[in-house]
Amino acid sequence: MANYGMAFDYKLCINCHACEVACKEENGIDLGAKNHRLWIQEETKVSGDFWNLDRDKVEFMQMQCQECQDAPCMAACPNGAIYRDNNGIVRLHKDLCDLTRACMSACPYNARYVDEKNHVTDKCIFCADTRLARGETTTACQITCPAKLRYFGNLDDPESEISKVLSSRKHFTLKPEKKTKPKLFYLE
Amino acid sequence: MNFIKKIIPMKDFTLKSLMTFEKTPLNILMFILTIGLLGAFGWGVIEYLIHSHHAYNVTREHPWGLLIAMYIFFVVSSTGLCIVGSLGDVFGFKDYMAMSKRAILGSIVTILAGFAVIAFEIGHPVRMLIYNVLSPGLTSAIWWMGTLYGIYLTFMIIEFIFLMRNDMKNARIFGLTGLLVGLAAHSNLGGVFGFLNARTISNGVFYPTYFILTAFITGIYLTYLMYGFRYKMNFPEEIKKGLIGLAKIQTLLLAILMFFETWKMMTGIYGGMPGRADVVEHILHSGGFVYGEVLCGMLIPFVVMLTTKWKSINLYVYASFIGMIGIFFMRYDLVHDTQVKPLQMMKLTEYQLPPKWIEYFPSAAEFAIGFGAIGIFFMLYYFGQKMFDLDGGDH
Ligand code: SF4
Ligand code: SF4
Repeated sequence: MANYGMAFDYKLCINCHACEVACKEENGIDLGAKNHRLWIQEETKVSGDFWNLDRDKVEFMQMQCQECQDAPCMAACPNGAIYRDNNGIVRLHKDLCDLTRACMSACPYNARYVDEKNHVTDKCIFCADTRLARGETTTACQITCPAKLRYFGNLDDPESEISKVLSSRKHFTLKPEKKTKPKLFYLE
Repeated sequence: MNFIKKIIPMKDFTLKSLMTFEKTPLNILMFILTIGLLGAFGWGVIEYLIHSHHAYNVTREHPWGLLIAMYIFFVVSSTGLCIVGSLGDVFGFKDYMAMSKRAILGSIVTILAGFAVIAFEIGHPVRMLIYNVLSPGLTSAIWWMGTLYGIYLTFMIIEFIFLMRNDMKNARIFGLTGLLVGLAAHSNLGGVFGFLNARTISNGVFYPTYFILTAFITGIYLTYLMYGFRYKMNFPEEIKKGLIGLAKIQTLLLAILMFFETWKMMTGIYGGMPGRADVVEHILHSGGFVYGEVLCGMLIPFVVMLTTKWKSINLYVYASFIGMIGIFFMRYDLVHDTQVKPLQMMKLTEYQLPPKWIEYFPSAAEFAIGFGAIGIFFMLYYFGQKMFDLDGGDH
């Protein structure tokens, strides 16, 4: 099976939020729900006007579950409801979730939220129940991004686009000091 | 009823005698307070059942709120009373023998009040009970805490039964086991916060040990309050002896706590670690910490006990009341401070603006359920007193 991960050419982001809209559409998230599954974080205030944005610093970061290989959310769950599926994606047995929200407190990336419809916690799962389940090999955010900055694929396949980009470009992960070993990479 | 009385000796009571009490102003006040708190609890539960978690002000950034704090408040009280109760019947200190029954009853009713709060905090409490057994999360401190507290409650009840039967040998065996399980459960509750890799301020060894220390302190405060109420400040000699001893222990424990806290804050600030130093500074400027935790929870009772040289028991009852207010702030702040710093993803610029703190203030339903559970404690304790002979434990 695959070992899915994602890489971001994050400096290319134009903050259009098309990825968020696509994700909401694909996964049935209510419009207006903030920071559900994925979001763009503005790291500093944007200065300058529309034609002349002061963009010498990077301001937009793509945020979502970092698919930790050593996942604190999984360790914190009292019911063993969080597991890793055979595509390497951190998933949730929905009927085991008791909403103690221990996973939300434990996640260093603020990736989890309460799914109000199903009364469980949730997060990005790389469209595993929708697109991947249909046999597709792309995620909704990736296929929609106009800047084409998202790379998604099998990290164990040296021929995949993501493996190639990771072997040829410098990259980093978020909060490496937490030793969570994320499978989301940000390209320099 | 006779069958139950064979297992656990009870006083003779009727429904009417359970419902009647001496009409002193204090008793009437307690009655009105209890009814009010129970009413608030009921209202809060209805709000929760109608609006689910929307009745609470908890958010994604601040998923744990007042109800978690109140749960901790009650279970800390329970562990504390268990420690105080064990001094006599488990460790054999004569001065505290007479207190065991009351303290152990207190430890049972406080944990029941705690369970009543947590049942309305967790989204699916029944699922939790089922999957706690069917699919245990052994890496989770919450699993260990919950499971051990369940076992602890069982042992406490068995110990109480043996105490009432004046079977001190068995009470001692179950008391010791219950105490050890309770301490393990309680330090695991500290571990729930201590394991949080994501929250630098709480991560580490501090909370698991601090929880045990503050449990003992809470137990002593509550013992004072229970006896102050029981004897209306006219303490019999054998109780006086025990209370004086407890005041001495309390002064020492408070001194240790202040020492711990001082070093926590010093290493926090001067250690300079992001996520810890800035949060500690924030805590030091908050009223809850300064007036609640330090002044009410530690300094006032400490100074009162030290300056009166452990002689003014009546004064200590009032000091213990102030102390319990401080203990509430300790629980509330520990939950809030853990989550107060936003989870910043990365540092992109060398000099960042100071972070905005995450704000949280409990909703009316949270107040109603959290504080309303104190009414559950009052009610259960009242019935316990009426049904069991809690005095005369000087075996
Ligand atoms: S980012 Fe958070 S939710 Fe995702 S695997 Fe890591 S700890 Fe779990
Ligand atoms: S779709 Fe692409 S460019 Fe637009 S906000 Fe999302 S990541 Fe940025």
